[in-house]
Amino acid sequence: MSLSSRGSAASVLAAAMTLLALPSSAFAQEQPVAPAPPPTVVVVPATAAPAPAVGDASRADAPVTSDTSGPSVPGATSPGLSRGNEPTRVVTEKPTDHQGTFEFGSYGRVYAASDLRGGTGRGTNVVAFGPRIVDEGSYAELELRREDNWSERVKGRVVATLALFPPFFHFSGKTDQAIGVRNLYAQGTYDKLTMWAGSRMYRGDDIYLLNWWPLDNQNTVGGGIGAPLYKSEEAAGRTQYETVLQLHAGQQRLDNPYQLQQVPVVAPFGFGTVDVTKLDRPRTIETVKLTQFVRPGGGAAGFKAILYGELHQLSAGTFNDPLTKSDRGLPEDSGWMLGSQLTYFTGKRDTYASLVLRHARGIAAYDPLAVPITFALDRTTSGASETQIALSGNYEQEQFSILWAAYVRFFRDGSSSATSTQKYDEGAAVVRPSVFFGDYFGLSLEGSYQQRRLAMLQPGTNDQLNASVTKLGVIPYFSPSGRGSYKRPQIRLLYVASFRDSGTRALYPVEDVFARRLTEHFLGLGAEWWFNSSSYP
Amino acid sequence: MKARKSRVILAALFAGACSLPEIGCVSVPDDGKQPALATHVDDWRDEVIYQVLVDRFANGDVNNDYKVRPGYLARFQGGDWQGLIDHLGYIKELGVTTLWISPVVKNVETDADVDSYHGYWAQDLTQTNPHFGDLAELRKLTAAAHDKQLKVVLDIVTNHMGQVFYYDMNLNGNPDINIGGSGPLPGAGSQSTITRITEFDPDWDPRGVQAFTSLGNAGRAPIIFIQDPSINRVPPNGILGTAAAYHGFGRVLNYDDEKQRTLGDFPGGLKDIATEVPEVRLQLIDNYTRWAELADLDGFRIDTVKHVEYDFWKQFATSVRQRLAPQGKNKFLMFGEAFDGNDKLLGSYTQDGMLDSVFYFSQHFQVFHDIFANAHDETQQKGTEQIQKLWADRAVNYNTQPQPGGTGIPASKSLVNFMDNHDVARFLFDAAGDKPALRNALVLLMTEEGIPCVYYGTEQDFAGGNDPSNREVLWNTGFPTAGDTFRHLSKLARLRAKYPALRRGDTNVVYSTPNVHAEEDAGIIAYERTGGDAADQYALVVINTNGRHMSTTAAGAKAMKVGRPGVTLVDVLDPEQKTYAVPATGELRLPVPQQQAMILVPQDQRKP
Repeated sequence: MSLSSRGSAASVLAAAMTLLALPSSAFAQEQPVAPAPPPTVVVVPATAAPAPAVGDASRADAPVTSDTSGPSVPGATSPGLSRGNEPTRVVTEKPTDHQGTFEFGSYGRVYAASDLRGGTGRGTNVVAFGPRIVDEGSYAELELRREDNWSERVKGRVVATLALFPPFFHFSGKTDQAIGVRNLYAQGTYDKLTMWAGSRMYRGDDIYLLNWWPLDNQNTVGGGIGAPLYKSEEAAGRTQYETVLQLHAGQQRLDNPYQLQQVPVVAPFGFGTVDVTKLDRPRTIETVKLTQFVRPGGGAAGFKAILYGELHQLSAGTFNDPLTKSDRGLPEDSGWMLGSQLTYFTGKRDTYASLVLRHARGIAAYDPLAVPITFALDRTTSGASETQIALSGNYEQEQFSILWAAYVRFFRDGSSSATSTQKYDEGAAVVRPSVFFGDYFGLSLEGSYQQRRLAMLQPGTNDQLNASVTKLGVIPYFSPSGRGSYKRPQIRLLYVASFRDSGTRALYPVEDVFARRLTEHFLGLGAEWWFNSSSYP
Repeated sequence: MKARKSRVILAALFAGACSLPEIGCVSVPDDGKQPALATHVDDWRDEVIYQVLVDRFANGDVNNDYKVRPGYLARFQGGDWQGLIDHLGYIKELGVTTLWISPVVKNVETDADVDSYHGYWAQDLTQTNPHFGDLAELRKLTAAAHDKQLKVVLDIVTNHMGQVFYYDMNLNGNPDINIGGSGPLPGAGSQSTITRITEFDPDWDPRGVQAFTSLGNAGRAPIIFIQDPSINRVPPNGILGTAAAYHGFGRVLNYDDEKQRTLGDFPGGLKDIATEVPEVRLQLIDNYTRWAELADLDGFRIDTVKHVEYDFWKQFATSVRQRLAPQGKNKFLMFGEAFDGNDKLLGSYTQDGMLDSVFYFSQHFQVFHDIFANAHDETQQKGTEQIQKLWADRAVNYNTQPQPGGTGIPASKSLVNFMDNHDVARFLFDAAGDKPALRNALVLLMTEEGIPCVYYGTEQDFAGGNDPSNREVLWNTGFPTAGDTFRHLSKLARLRAKYPALRRGDTNVVYSTPNVHAEEDAGIIAYERTGGDAADQYALVVINTNGRHMSTTAAGAKAMKVGRPGVTLVDVLDPEQKTYAVPATGELRLPVPQQQAMILVPQDQRKP
């Protein structure tokens, strides 16, 4: 296998064809006719630890880079090696002396649905974290992961997770699939200390029925460190304790005029314009999480208690108002959040119950992936707050299970106005009992109620705007991996009726049929799966 | 069953959480809910109206600053009702008692690169303009105002809507602006006339706006409503969203032609409503009365009344009164704006069954402009006998009987007096920055018979020219209350409140003059306020409008003769409170420095 270090498209293709053992003529008609330069570097893979062909292919891609001034070949130390006119050299890779694997994991869900009126099924939630049924839509993550055990004390992991956002090609007919990088980080463990850095979704326990991570859910570029502070020795019949501390710091700079603005200016040389960054104010977030596990008597059952905190900072900046072409200062902002979680688990059949409390102030009241839309007079989020209480659980026996969840959330923006769409109380309660038929089939029912109460008058009335939705659903399914609330994949039929009150209808513009419909149907067919994903351990 | 269980769980969670002091349950504040209607006014002559352009007064909530462009006065600046609420103390300190707020309804956002910050380009008569707040905030404003004994008058427009449609004159389905012809070109044979036709705002055509093709006229041009939600230029609700609700004659060219005036579109493409159509009338009456009910308003200032047929005003005013009275809302003031110097025309809108009052535009032109603003220019200044003549016509041109179910005061005694407003250049602009002239004019405004109306910013010596330069941003001043004009106006308001004669007394002009030059009495106007609803309360106001020299209330043998012989009068406007004994003859020769004034009351009626 050989490859030019400054490969043209043809030379890269030649290398790829070599990898795939295809004759180069097979692509001759489609490729540029320019001859490939002579190879200058030959990489000889080590034979001590055979690597899969895929690994070789990825290595072959390595030299293809826009940066031609730096080393781009393993073992190369001088830029001169990549000039393409030196004598051939042989670089020998060290034989690997550890265990390593490539892993693939995934989470996904895909639906097709009808509203029984000739249209597609549509979400009906009016709260931020309503039941996922109907509203969750299609979504998938594909995780590629490298796991290495370098020694007994040293381990490594590199994770790349791509998220696919709907609509998918077979639905929309469009090939420009929206893809997001949800993970791209490296992690290393030295003895008991784990460190990571990169771009990562970094989060704790979710409430499945609400598709929600109620305590901690960070999506930043940054890094973290964690270690067990204490772990009791295991012994039969003895209560086990383990205390884990995790710290993280990361940043975001959303591509939004709230945090980033680039403006064209006259180019310093020649003609035309170049863009300069006018506004650059990333949000920096530090988190600390202290987790305590207790397993009475050393059994499978136990408790998990978490104390969690966040600090958020947003620096000041200058924004150029496109309407007036004048600069406007944006003030610095900050916030904090404190939360806790108490979970009891039986250790059997995913049975658990959990309580989460959290309170956030200032900018921490806003999801870091969201931009505040209302502000105090000084254009900060001071005065904003979010308080939430969430309960969830699963009770599961051989023949049936009951998943349930509920939450209330109190959100107040920092605006001076007493009435605002950004001042509201909301909550939802949902229960999903399931009956298992044999090992692979089941039937779930789901009932839920949700309400959002806004500090607004309902248009045309003298009443406060209260919007509520009641949902009833039935979900027959096939679960090839067995019975259980959390067994996946699940291939399911789904029918849900959403009953919508006048407040809910008032949330929509009159041109939208949702401003008129009292009942919304959702008849769908879909699948959900997860396996071997580091994000869903 | 499960949904019911869920409701119970959720209710329990809400109840538990709401008991925590940090959280509390969200609610609309009580003063944002439906108010109980009440009559907040005793006698409208006791009021001093303060006209506020909401977008320009104070910015109390940055979250409704949608597309604001600070510094560009033809664009939104960010003022809102919360800003007004926040500065009611400033207004109270000024001494005014009634807020006239600019229109509250939802507008077409922008038109021809000018924004609807003023509120006169209505699109939806049932919704609040989100630039200023929501219904709860409007209610909070009126509630907070009433708490401070301030009343609120709403500006409404029944004559026209914003530019919600175009005339498809060339029948191509697009709103076009066409320029045709080349005009005479030197060196070429072209002699064609240059014409400009805009389908947004075509000229008056007595046949109705006509469509045409290359072959000639093609009948009435279809009215096509515009669908541009990005600027809220969409069809209005109800019948106002149909062509049947509009006259479709094009823009007024001749304001003296009554047909054009009442049927033509208002300049700027503001579409003239067919107010004679019964369904249209009922919708206008219902939509606007509803605002009074929703927010406990105390009156309407009505725009462009001379562009609507008389019959409409009878039905409108009567219907509003009849609907509000059973709900406890009486003495609801309705005064109209007829931008015209014709005193008879102004008075015609106060005849039986119509409006309670109108803006005294004839006085604006003949008194404040011709006499006070020209104080330094004897070639332009008019003599004060013009004031006496104009005032004498009040009883002739305006209704001398109160409207049935109206304010209880005849229009002839409750005209809305003003020096300037948002439609004319500010007084100081006309007076070339002459602040003594402004303060002198304020004396007349605050002591004459009727209801004084002060345009916001007057107290801060704003001097903007015509629209939009006269619509300055007040909050840029920092709301100071120590300026000379602010303190002067505040003092006049206190005197007016203190002395019933200045509010409710009849008027007797005791001295005026045609002289404006070097004469002894040049520029003098003097009038008594007494009798009427003020009974024996008495005040004598003497003003020297002359900007060049001291004048006296006498010229040779002619001398001012007042109705309180033998009484000692004290000048309550004078910081030194000088006294003047009236001789038994009643003749009083008072020297008054240039652009100064006296407010004299009997010493025994003087109040601390």
